[in-house]
Amino acid sequence: MPNNNEKKVTKRDVWRVLLRYMFTFQWSWNYERMQALGFAWSIMPILEKVNETKEDLKLALQRHLNFFNTHPPMGAGIIGAATALEEQGAEGEAVDSLKVGLMGPLAGIGDTLFAILTRPIIGVFAASLALGGSMGGFWLMILFGLFWGIGVKIYLFWQGYRRGADIVQDTAAGGTMDRLTTGATILGLTVIGGFVPSILSGVTTPLEYTETVEVEGELTEQVVAVQDVLDQLLPYLIPVLLVALAYWLLRGPLKWSPIKVLLALIVIAFGGSLIGIL
Amino acid sequence: MEEVVSPYGIGTALVLGLWAYIAIVVMLAPNISFHEPIVAGAVTGMIVGNVPLGLAVGGTLMIVSLGMHTYGGATIPDFLTGAILGTAFGALAYDGNVESAMATGLTIAVPAALLMTQLDVFGRAITTVFIHGADKYVEDENFRGVTLMHLLGQLPWGLTRGIPVFLAIWLGAGPVQRFMEWIPEWFQDAISTTGAVLPALGFALLLSMLPVKKYWPFLVIGFILFAYLEVPVIGLAIAGAALAALYSHMKEGEASA
Repeated sequence: MPNNNEKKVTKRDVWRVLLRYMFTFQWSWNYERMQALGFAWSIMPILEKVNETKEDLKLALQRHLNFFNTHPPMGAGIIGAATALEEQGAEGEAVDSLKVGLMGPLAGIGDTLFAILTRPIIGVFAASLALGGSMGGFWLMILFGLFWGIGVKIYLFWQGYRRGADIVQDTAAGGTMDRLTTGATILGLTVIGGFVPSILSGVTTPLEYTETVEVEGELTEQVVAVQDVLDQLLPYLIPVLLVALAYWLLRGPLKWSPIKVLLALIVIAFGGSLIGIL
Repeated sequence: MEEVVSPYGIGTALVLGLWAYIAIVVMLAPNISFHEPIVAGAVTGMIVGNVPLGLAVGGTLMIVSLGMHTYGGATIPDFLTGAILGTAFGALAYDGNVESAMATGLTIAVPAALLMTQLDVFGRAITTVFIHGADKYVEDENFRGVTLMHLLGQLPWGLTRGIPVFLAIWLGAGPVQRFMEWIPEWFQDAISTTGAVLPALGFALLLSMLPVKKYWPFLVIGFILFAYLEVPVIGLAIAGAALAALYSHMKEGEASA
């Protein structure tokens, strides 16, 4: 391979990144590093242009094969910005910190906007059309998919690409992006706080006990549902404890992998159901 | 109970298996709703010749799945496979009445969606092989190999849906129904309890990506709004936006003071 500095990144290369990202990003999703391979492969056309030696390209790809996970339509902004930075020959560390710094907050924003705000509303509407036998429900879901899967990705990719360096500078200076991610974090956490009890509301205990109480001077046996007692203590106590346990297993001293936590939850739920406490 | 014999040939089974494969891979990217129960059910309805039934099964499963989302990659009941199998088997019971055929379809769709979570975990775990393969190819400076690994990553995903759908349709409703009858009630209870508990992992994964230690009061406020005040979802989002704006203003006030 001839070593020259004339290999400029073209508009076509940038489009290749976008198309790879848009149409294949999560195909290699796995528990270990989640979207890492998809990110590395998507940005490869740029890396191949800006890294003159195979050794440099290898190091660049290894950087991009580190753990990555975010909401794919939102992540288009991240890969757009990363593309711009790689093209400008930024330090690998700058690109890494951009990715790591934005993936969590953007996952929160994306999950909130997609799964908590827009999908439930569109979904209920589409379902009511479908249950009435109308193909309108089908088309509504497809349009919703095209909006997020194609429209949002194209828009955010070019936003990130054009303003990539600015975004990084803003973040470093605690500017606009910092405020936006803080805002999104607050919005996301508030909504998650409500959704934990809402989505896990089905997790209750069927346990009961009988106690003897004195009613108007007579002793009577009364069946008390343990769930009612728990609800007086704290509503949705079991869901809160389960999420806290899973969070602790993931982030606490044990640092369990998601798959181990998943297995633990299955054992707890299955076993809890068998012995009659869940 | 009379045994239902599948009139579906191997051709229909292959087409439905292929549809399941395509729908799950499209969910990964570009994610244009092919896996949503309404779409999965309607397309299955086109294949087996009963679109209204597909829309009805899919519409019902859509409501069941509202608010379910693979936060951080958590496994949720597989309503895509549920919608396909529910529509295909429901169509066998169709006698001109969509409602009764839909009920038959749902008794297969819901347990299938729950049982399929096992294969979802399996598929997500197996795909790890490909990222290790990519590491190796990068180390060897074989960059075409990276492309291959990424594109092949779809196989465990697609096959964990395509093969069960193909086998279920091809081997017919009889074995599926007998299997469901064989499963004792306590086992089914345990499976549905497990399904109800699993979203806890998704929340924990999402929370582990957010700066909870700094901003935990907002988590508590959201909890109180729902658990004590029964504020609906949209209300939570509006409250969250207001809190975010308030926090931002207070920060600016501090900065200029």
